[in-house]
Amino acid sequence: MTLPQVPILPILPELILTLFGIAVMLFDPFTAKPHKSWLSSLAFIGVLAALAGNVLLLAAEGEYYNGMIIVDSFSVFFNFLFLIIAGLSILASRQYLVREGVNHSEYYGLLLFATVGMCFMGGANELIMIFIGLEITSISTYVLAGFRRTDLKSNEAAIKYFLLGSFATAFLLYGIALMYGATHTTHLSQISSALLTGRIDLRLVLAGTALMMVGFSFKVATAPFQIWTPDVYEGAPIPVTGWMSVGPKAAGFAAFLRVFFVALPALDQKWFWVLWVSSVLTMTIGNTAAMLQSNIKRMLAYSSIAHAGYILVAFAALTPNGIASIMFYLLAYSVMNLGAFAVISAWSLSGERRVTIDEFAGLGYRQPWLAAAFTVFLLGLTGIPLTAGFTGKFFMFRAAINSKLYWLTIIALLNSAASLYYYLRPTIAMYMREPGESGRTSAPQDSAPLQISMATKVVIAVSVLAVFYLGLFPSTILDFAQSSAFLVH
Amino acid sequence: MLRSYLPILIQIILASLIGFGILGLSYLVGKHKPTPEKLMPYESGVRPTGSAHERFAVKFYLTAMLFILFDVEVIFLYPWAVIYRELRFFGFFEMLTFILVVLAGYVYIWKKGALDWNKN
Amino acid sequence: MDFFRQHILSITTFTPLVGAFLLLFVGKENKNAIRWIANLFGFLGLLVSLPLWFWYNRADGGFQFIERHEWIKTIGANYSLGADGISLLLILLTTVLGAIAILSSWTAIEMRVKEYYIFLLLLQVGMIGVFCSLDFFLFYVFWEVMLVPMYFLIGVWGSDRRLYSAIKFFLYTLVGSVVMLLGILVLYFHMPEGQRTFDYIQIMNYLHASPLASNIARFVWLAFFLGFAIKVPMFPFHTWLPDAHTDAPTAGSVILAGVLLKMGTYGFIRFSLPLLPNESQYFKGMMAALAIIGIVYGALVAMMQKDWKRLVAYSSVSHLGFVMLGMFCFNPNGVNGSVLQMINHGISTGGLFLIVGLVYERRHTRMISEYSGLSHVMPVYATYFMIIMLSSLGLPLLNGFIGEFTILQGAFQVSYTWAAFAVSGIILGAAYLLWLYQRTMFGEITNEKNKTLKDLNFREVATLFPLVVLALWIGIYPKPFFEILERPVNKVVATVQPDKFTVDSMGNLIVPDKAKANPLPASVPAGTEAAAAIQRDLPTTQSATPGVEKK
Repeated sequence: MTLPQVPILPILPELILTLFGIAVMLFDPFTAKPHKSWLSSLAFIGVLAALAGNVLLLAAEGEYYNGMIIVDSFSVFFNFLFLIIAGLSILASRQYLVREGVNHSEYYGLLLFATVGMCFMGGANELIMIFIGLEITSISTYVLAGFRRTDLKSNEAAIKYFLLGSFATAFLLYGIALMYGATHTTHLSQISSALLTGRIDLRLVLAGTALMMVGFSFKVATAPFQIWTPDVYEGAPIPVTGWMSVGPKAAGFAAFLRVFFVALPALDQKWFWVLWVSSVLTMTIGNTAAMLQSNIKRMLAYSSIAHAGYILVAFAALTPNGIASIMFYLLAYSVMNLGAFAVISAWSLSGERRVTIDEFAGLGYRQPWLAAAFTVFLLGLTGIPLTAGFTGKFFMFRAAINSKLYWLTIIALLNSAASLYYYLRPTIAMYMREPGESGRTSAPQDSAPLQISMATKVVIAVSVLAVFYLGLFPSTILDFAQSSAFLVH
Repeated sequence: MLRSYLPILIQIILASLIGFGILGLSYLVGKHKPTPEKLMPYESGVRPTGSAHERFAVKFYLTAMLFILFDVEVIFLYPWAVIYRELRFFGFFEMLTFILVVLAGYVYIWKKGALDWNKN
Repeated sequence: MDFFRQHILSITTFTPLVGAFLLLFVGKENKNAIRWIANLFGFLGLLVSLPLWFWYNRADGGFQFIERHEWIKTIGANYSLGADGISLLLILLTTVLGAIAILSSWTAIEMRVKEYYIFLLLLQVGMIGVFCSLDFFLFYVFWEVMLVPMYFLIGVWGSDRRLYSAIKFFLYTLVGSVVMLLGILVLYFHMPEGQRTFDYIQIMNYLHASPLASNIARFVWLAFFLGFAIKVPMFPFHTWLPDAHTDAPTAGSVILAGVLLKMGTYGFIRFSLPLLPNESQYFKGMMAALAIIGIVYGALVAMMQKDWKRLVAYSSVSHLGFVMLGMFCFNPNGVNGSVLQMINHGISTGGLFLIVGLVYERRHTRMISEYSGLSHVMPVYATYFMIIMLSSLGLPLLNGFIGEFTILQGAFQVSYTWAAFAVSGIILGAAYLLWLYQRTMFGEITNEKNKTLKDLNFREVATLFPLVVLALWIGIYPKPFFEILERPVNKVVATVQPDKFTVDSMGNLIVPDKAKANPLPASVPAGTEAAAAIQRDLPTTQSATPGVEKK
């Protein structure tokens, strides 16, 4: 027997990330405490290397490893997205971890491993592979959520996310099992062709579809499976919350899209209505609850639920345009949300204090640039023109109208207008109130000048630029997304 | 399709028959003379005191987890060994890589002090 | 110069943006430098827009100064600008009022001066952009972006209930505009696959060639209606207006009343009427009713106000009712008057808000009862106030009269009832304004604090003087304005009522019976391109130019 040829290229980004992840964790015990920040630089270099590797993937389209992994522009796009998210998160976390006294390099290792899992979810062409990717991501995320070990809320977040996440995974796995039982394959395109033969037990397939949908809905936090989100987002460390609200969510959507559009297009009229209803519920619940929050992390948690609802609107369009707009929006949402969380992390005080909306009072005049950036992110999340949020939402609702989903779009548009109400609240606090007005007496050290590290500044600046770039010149990214959204035949 | 599961069903039935049968037989045939000593958790052992819910030091869990982790990874060696002749050098290097990764984990936990029983 | 001529609309739009950008780099303690730069760019913005008035070809009712660049190719959105007579006057109004608003803030704003002027200049960009966009996507971008600076102007520099008013203003208009976005998207998808574009002219041509199914068209019309009617604001969507106007800083109120409200009326005349003429006809009754309710209701409520600024705010509701009534007469008189009245309202009400702002800056109260006999201590002030007040209530020889008179002419041609109600609005308007003037300017000075008030200084006169000049100019010699408006308005009218009015491609009205006898109207010299176009179009039913409607 000759040596089997194992191609490395198709999983090059994942391999690079894994190696750097291992290296970061291995070097940690050998590094003295004051020098630990070089490990985060190492992790960041790993992300850059993986980005370079991902560029090579563009030339290697095809299916690999018996069809378990697929390299296409869809997966490459999502790899880029996950790596950008990881890079920005690493930079945004540096100052925070030191401040909170949890500067352990495991943080960066786990972040890289989670990104590996996310990349697998984007490139998986087969249900088991999706499951593996999901588990790698989830397990890393459980730990990250509880990274402030001595803080009760962080612990609560971790255990809640762990319990509900495992529950969701079980649903997904059960769905996969039923699907396999009915079609004798876990390969996505084979499932699709098996469904077209008509010689399969439709009840099993439908049950499997429903269970998989439950699993994915948990992961992307859409109604009625969004309940875990606020507590977990509130308790997790700020940079982790920012990362969780975009990274694993985007990965969940990548897998969700691929499974339902590649494997189950034959049943789209059956799951379309589930999406429709879930979308309306998700938007409305997210926005209504967000209006009532006083903690900014909770508010953004609910708003992230609402954004998942908007994404479902484009999902329900069932067209390549819809998929392309979702891809674009995930990118837009990621930079806006990561930027917003970077600002929150810069303004908050050690021990995660100063995170209620009222406590943003006076930021506008103490840190004009920081406040201006935050305003840009908030207006972007609302969907005001010139920002990425507007073009993103515009493309999604355009796709929905194209599929004649008038009512769904009206509901989405009104929801989006209503979201303005709570996105404006931080701007009111920042610009229109004086610091004393919130009624709290702040300790003298709290009014000390803010020290914002270079890395955080870079994250905020890059995010602001990206928000405007995507808002003004969306063509390049949109065209790339459009060309990868061939999934619907 | 379900026919192929028939042997499993038969096995389940047989196993439960034997299990319950023996218990039932001893109940029916045996003599019942309970004494306080016989009803103790450990007959002719040390009498248990205190609450059953005793808290263990976390390091026990840590050791147990590490044991399971490495134990599970070692299991991969068995199927590998069975087809080692077929895999030849490819298999050798594959397993070498695998062991190196496990070794990296070992170095990590060692340097982190997870194996140091007297720490703290 | 050539470059300037080709890009004059872009330059006019983005001059204030340059100013705002420069201001970013001025230290915030350097208040006077900030004020000088802002005023410089306010004035510069006016200066670069003035050539529009001279270069505009009054014989052509179509869009001029067109600029077009590809923007987002995938969805067919272009950066395309252009102006016809209607937009031209509104752009000039914006630049004039913008410069005045900036000048009027010199001493009124002492806090956060830098941010204030940046927002004011950004607001200017958004408003001019709205008036010259010829692409729905671009239009929508300007339309919404402009809300952000206004929100901050009200929220940060406003008075009393500024937070409430700012949010209410933002939310109201945003809800209207997202629904309008839906209407835009429906029009967009009405275009055949592959030709989809947000280009205004292409969409209009396509809509005229193959109209929407009537139920969908009505839905689209209502979607636009919601967006524009909230902005105008028409009864019953007006409730944000008194709050926003009252709590905004003076310059904000001037811009709000002078320009922002015109964005709504402009939306109707630019989009609703030409794009969906049948539906505009269908909803004519409803619109007239709402306009008349607005006229009477606004005037009655204005009469009852104790707050000076709130009174002026409600008078806007009444005046905008006139504008809407004139527009929905669908005849040249009504529509001409309607557009001219938009300009007039900008001048008069803008002026009235300046007038309130001047005493508010001195006394920090807006209660009418706090003032009396001001004409004794501030004679110059009282004079300017009188001219502007008279222009607002429609005294002959002043601008308000021309606008209202033309609108009434149009209304009489349609219905005596409409005209009767409109006249009652004028009478009520005279009542509340004269009463206001009498209470504040005449009589004895009852309040000690008023005895020491200073009269206007040079800068303050400079903000009011241009408005008075404009009011007199329009009042005495409105012909240049009607010359600019005539042909674009004819085109709109002929699109809505093709059975009554016909125009050639330049926008000249063709008298029906003459047109049958002689296809070439006298105003178009034979042999010109326009004449050829008319001859070519007459026998067919296919229209080459959007404004031209045939038998």
